[in-house]
Amino acid sequence: MAELSFTQEELDEIERLKDKFPTAKAATLRVLWLAQNKYGHVKDEVQNLVAEALDVPKAHVHGVARFYTQYYKEEKGKFVLDVCTCLSCQLCGGYDILHHLEDELGIQAGETTDDGMFTVNEVECLGACGYAPMLQVTNGVYVNNLTKEKVDTLLENLKNGNMPEFESKAMPELEKRNQAASE
Amino acid sequence: MPEVFIDGKRYEYEGQPMLLQFILDQGLEVPFFCYHPSMSIPANCRQCMVKVGTPVKDRETGEFELDENGDRKIRWFPKPQTSCSTPLQDGMVVHTQETSEEIARAQKDNLEFILINHPLDCPICDQAGECPLQIQTYKYGPEGSRFEVKKVHKPKHVDLGPRVTLDAERCINCTRCVRFTEEISETNQLTIVDRGDSNYPTTAPGETFDDPYSMNTVDICPVGALTSTDFRFKARVWEMNQTPSIDITNGKGCNIDLWTRDNEVLRITPRQNEDVNDYWMPDAGRDAYKLFNENRVDRPSITLDENNQSNTSWNNAIETFAEVIEANDPSDITIVGSPHASVEENYVFNKFFNLLGVSNAKFTPHVIPGSGDGFLITDDQAPNTNGCRVINLDETDDGAIQSVVSDAKVVIILSDDLIGRDVLTSSDLESPYTISLATNISDTTKASDLVIPITCVAEHAASYVNVDGRIQRSYPAKETKYTNRRLNLEMSEGRLDRFGTNFDNWVSEENKVDCLPLWEFLNKLADRLGLEFEYNHSREIFTELSNSLDVLSNVSYDRMDEEKGVQLPIKQKEVKA
Repeated sequence: MAELSFTQEELDEIERLKDKFPTAKAATLRVLWLAQNKYGHVKDEVQNLVAEALDVPKAHVHGVARFYTQYYKEEKGKFVLDVCTCLSCQLCGGYDILHHLEDELGIQAGETTDDGMFTVNEVECLGACGYAPMLQVTNGVYVNNLTKEKVDTLLENLKNGNMPEFESKAMPELEKRNQAASE
Repeated sequence: MPEVFIDGKRYEYEGQPMLLQFILDQGLEVPFFCYHPSMSIPANCRQCMVKVGTPVKDRETGEFELDENGDRKIRWFPKPQTSCSTPLQDGMVVHTQETSEEIARAQKDNLEFILINHPLDCPICDQAGECPLQIQTYKYGPEGSRFEVKKVHKPKHVDLGPRVTLDAERCINCTRCVRFTEEISETNQLTIVDRGDSNYPTTAPGETFDDPYSMNTVDICPVGALTSTDFRFKARVWEMNQTPSIDITNGKGCNIDLWTRDNEVLRITPRQNEDVNDYWMPDAGRDAYKLFNENRVDRPSITLDENNQSNTSWNNAIETFAEVIEANDPSDITIVGSPHASVEENYVFNKFFNLLGVSNAKFTPHVIPGSGDGFLITDDQAPNTNGCRVINLDETDDGAIQSVVSDAKVVIILSDDLIGRDVLTSSDLESPYTISLATNISDTTKASDLVIPITCVAEHAASYVNVDGRIQRSYPAKETKYTNRRLNLEMSEGRLDRFGTNFDNWVSEENKVDCLPLWEFLNKLADRLGLEFEYNHSREIFTELSNSLDVLSNVSYDRMDEEKGVQLPIKQKEVKA
């Protein structure tokens, strides 16, 4: 692996982040995030780079990175598909979606395709139970109310580099309230 | 005086103590794991929960509101509070597990929770017998486990560093070790990784836990997660004997405990002393136990022909010693005292030869500049440099020692490896007749013509003055061939010592070194030389010292015992390198 380093812009950004917090330690999360956006993972060498940039103990950064699953401690695919299989999604067919994805991509949950495009994970509740089953694309956009066709379209779009749009979902209760207010 | 009611009893307090510390100071008990008086309080083990309430006051008048019985109305906190992080307030009412069913139940449930993933390997765990988790489970814990699922498996017997082994499954995540490296040793080498029931302490990737104070984490670990790589599986704590002593590996004089079994020192742990080392000690001091067991000078030895040392009898050694003294003029004899030997040894050594007309003993400090760290590791490598100054030995530098030694016909060295620490070379000791009074075999004893074995710090009671001018004493922890645990009232007896007989398989004569306390040897030598000189115990020597020296006038062994050492009114001198 080549020697890692932050560019001057990134270092300026880190300085800006440090200034937002009372201590350098507090900026650890943000700087790890920055590093993950750059390298696609925070493996040990990236953690050490972050520790150096922030001038905090290596052990501290390591502990923080290991605490959160959304920091990738190994190299993942370009798109990480986190399929929820918690109760609501499970009842609405989360496992069907997961197995469909596994068959489509020819990998098991937790693995990455050979072309480095997709990683599929089976995850716990992501808090979108109202629109089950759902998945999350690389710690970002949720894709809700999945069907097998929707999954196929999603894979096609992603292969062509089109990220799904962010969907704003109003709660049914809220809709009723808004309706009541407008009447 | 602000007051607080604990379990129905009224106590008064001063300042702003935390509830748990205050309860412990009263001699009461609340179980806890993560709290340590010398470190920050995270309150993350949740074991020290108590029920706390404060009296209701009328806002207008400031009077206490009373209920129908005329007692103060108490507004209870909605949930049990962790007593370690609850500051006392005036009028606070506290119920511990002694008086509250609810709290007893809460602690029991919390222990059950902690024990969910804790393996039941007490029979093979090194912490067994000194394990807070064991003790508190026995006292406050559930009768059994309701858990029927497999326990979480984590890394076992990981070498965290050169001296510490981790068994992550036993860890209960009290974070004491992490806080130690952050707050006390300030190396920040440890952290807790992962989450929930799979987390455990470890170092950053690629780093080893090589902190010079790393083994303190073994002491403070409340379970068997961190164990000493060296001491693992060597002995059970209930088989060993604990004797207070002083660390002799550097000038700080950390208070320690020597743990012995069958007259072998098996491990060394720090003993709390707020004025010296608090609860800590450097790892180097713990390795010193080998000095007491191995490589000891056992029986006198004498060099008859070139480079051929052979053991000899005590009588022969005394006779040879006496003949050498008689055959030489006192002005041709040089005596070298030692900062590695105790105050008493240096004193009787010097006094004996002064009586014979030999000039005052010289000594040279054993200092390695830059090796200290300002905490518990000092530049001074010897435990008693200031002690030699207190009894007025002649402090000289290394060069001066070399010149007086090469001019002398007889050199008598007290337990100091002058060759090993590069003050002398073996060629310096070739021409004079060299007598070493030594505890351990070293380059100096190998170059000597006559070697007399003397007791080490673990075998006699003697005092040492540390770099800050504090005088502290040791106790005999292991027997020599000529002492007996039963007869020597100063020696402690462990279970095995008390109930063992000579026919038991854990008793052997092998670990008793054939050596004498320096003063007893000098008694015998004085008899042979017809000298008025007799000391039967180091107490006698110290009494004489405190009667003759102003600095030590109010100091006695009893006072040292009571106060864990006495600060002498001496200034810390710049130690000459």
